[in-house]
Amino acid sequence: MGHQISRRTLLRTTGGIAVAGALGSALSACSGGTGAGSTSSDLTMIWWGSDDRHAAYKKALATFQKKNSKIKIRETYSGYDGYFDKFNTNIAGGSAPDLLQMDTALVAQYARKGVLAPIDSYVGKTLDLTGFSKTLLAAGTVDGKLYGVPSGIGVNQLTVNRSGLEKLGLKLPDREWTWADLKKIAQDVYKKSGGKIYGVDDGGGSTLQCFEVFAREKGETFFSDDGKKLGFTPATLQEWWEFWADMRKANASPPPAITSAAHNDLTKNAVVIGKALFSFDSGIYGAGGSITDAQLDFLPTPQGDWSGAREGNFVNGGVLLSATKASKKVADSVKIMSFFAQDETAIKDMQLLRGIPPTEKARNLIASGLTPTDKLNVENADYIAQRVGKATNALPAPVPPPQGADQIWDLLFQSNLAVAFGKKSIKAQLGEFFDQAEGALGG
Amino acid sequence: MTTAKTDEVVKEQAAPATPSDQRERDRMRRRLARRRGGGWWPYAFLAPWFVGLFGLTIYPMLDSLYLSFTNFDLLTPAQWVGMDNYSKMFADDPVFWDSVHATLLYVVVSVPLKLALALGVAMLLNRDLRGIGLYRAAFYLPSLLGGAVAIAIVWRQVFGGDGLFNDFLAWFGIKGQDWISSPDTALYTLILLAVWQFGTPMVIFLAGLKQLPKDVFEAAAIDGATPVTRFFRITLPLLTPIVFFNVVLQIIDAFKTFTPAFVISNGSGGPLNSTMLYSLYLYKKGFTDLEMGYASALAWVLFLVIAGFTAVNFIASRYWVHYDD
Repeated sequence: MGHQISRRTLLRTTGGIAVAGALGSALSACSGGTGAGSTSSDLTMIWWGSDDRHAAYKKALATFQKKNSKIKIRETYSGYDGYFDKFNTNIAGGSAPDLLQMDTALVAQYARKGVLAPIDSYVGKTLDLTGFSKTLLAAGTVDGKLYGVPSGIGVNQLTVNRSGLEKLGLKLPDREWTWADLKKIAQDVYKKSGGKIYGVDDGGGSTLQCFEVFAREKGETFFSDDGKKLGFTPATLQEWWEFWADMRKANASPPPAITSAAHNDLTKNAVVIGKALFSFDSGIYGAGGSITDAQLDFLPTPQGDWSGAREGNFVNGGVLLSATKASKKVADSVKIMSFFAQDETAIKDMQLLRGIPPTEKARNLIASGLTPTDKLNVENADYIAQRVGKATNALPAPVPPPQGADQIWDLLFQSNLAVAFGKKSIKAQLGEFFDQAEGALGG
Repeated sequence: MTTAKTDEVVKEQAAPATPSDQRERDRMRRRLARRRGGGWWPYAFLAPWFVGLFGLTIYPMLDSLYLSFTNFDLLTPAQWVGMDNYSKMFADDPVFWDSVHATLLYVVVSVPLKLALALGVAMLLNRDLRGIGLYRAAFYLPSLLGGAVAIAIVWRQVFGGDGLFNDFLAWFGIKGQDWISSPDTALYTLILLAVWQFGTPMVIFLAGLKQLPKDVFEAAAIDGATPVTRFFRITLPLLTPIVFFNVVLQIIDAFKTFTPAFVISNGSGGPLNSTMLYSLYLYKKGFTDLEMGYASALAWVLFLVIAGFTAVNFIASRYWVHYDD
């Protein structure tokens, strides 16, 4: 404890020196001025995304500042790579941003560590969440408290290069399709393209949009409700990996070198580079340069075709806006969250850039301005949301991923790759996966 | 010749002082003695250095030593766990061993290749050709660029599935593969990148070669020694102090390699941890997985390993490094 204090004191001292230095140079830079407005009074906001998203945020924030001239916002944005590394370092160094775009996959960890500010007390006052459904707000709710406002609906879907399919004389599968249907059409793609294009990118190591849905179809979850264990059995994972081993063997999915190259790099995704027509990575829509001339379409993650299969798809919250606990401007941050949730210009500016808008009102507002592909995207999300809403056998929405979750996702990816490269048998890798996953969750 | 000259200079300086020198020195001594009482101000001038040493080196090091015995996630206070981090590392962390394996392979393969190439090119550049300065600069250039993220990105493009390297192989009818995303070859692309940056040891070798006494070579040539014999019997033995210096520095450098591995694998250390160099794993643990205590323990193990390697180098050097005294 004493140690902790001394660290903080030191950081504050060095921080002070840095600020003094910065101030010194700022003052000398504008000597003769009436004293620059202190930069420390700005509200800092950070987000990650594509250039389109950056532009949209800036446009919306400009509107916000016109109406709230007292709140000065300093915007910092980047790609996803390194975003949370930097955030962690800032938090540890005592220079946390006030407001940030948060990942639904990480919100629980940060909330439980006391990094984020609970915002329940603002709801209905300065935070207007009219039109947000309970299931949607669950994405930002950790242990009963709200830590972030979802920006949109996230669904588990496949992105399909529809014009590529049509070129091969194949039809887009029906939305009520199964894993067996996926295999069949993926094989057809390989055959019809003369062995040039594989069907679907390798989903054996893909977590959120893919294996989690499969496990839920089996009545199992990815993480146990308390987040301390895995929620699925080795048998389920084995069946999953066998399915994908089969897919690779049948050339329905590309060889591991292609899968591996796409790790953390959307521009190398099999669909983006034209080596497959179906992808589980929804991020490729809008990110891939070489598929922009293709007509894309969207499909729900396939359903289980065994007896007793349940609805496995679910709806989550896109990205979130969260305030940090250390911030002195939580009230101002909440105003901005409310602005993004309800303001018409903000909704129109953001379009689908943070997911499909969370409220009916917002969806109607942007409907007319959507591109044809955006429209298909919204339609598919609506379809999934409705089907999930009606399903009687669906498990409740997944709990927010616990600490260590991203290590386990990475482990799943690497394990599938080890099997695909022929470095490990499925049986051997299965044992290693469960050993290491338990270690990551326990530690 | 040059060494002899230097010796003379040294001797001159060490020669007994003339009376006037002696007087000058005494005056200095008295002046210093006078000031000894209120002599705080030299320390004021040294203060920035002390702040740097204690604030940015010694304190963080001791702090990380302390943290290596704790569970510290950067965001909540550290908890003392004793030797847990260290025992977990050796007994319970397969990725740690993957990273040790990748790093050792990287060091053992890249350092000798890099030094051999550096020496070879230094020999070629150790002549009086027209425009030799230009050639030297050209060969040194990769080292200037080497640490840059941009080069690692270029490397990724060159050795990727549809990269330049495969285009080159295609001229010979060889069908390449994706070198960077295959676990069997990914590390070797990193090694190649390291070897390509041979400029720094090359410059040092070149400086060493310039110091070698020409008359010895002339005598050997007259006695009928072939260039190969001259290289192994004269150049290399005379150069051993330089070789030693380069070996030590390059091994330390190689152990610490981070940027290329981080950039080329997109920060993942993949495929299958084949490019998970130790520093990259350390960084991942600390900043991505928020296990700063564990990362500190990793850092201390690396520190000890590098210290160990360096010590072994120094001990072994007694048997193969020749100084001309």
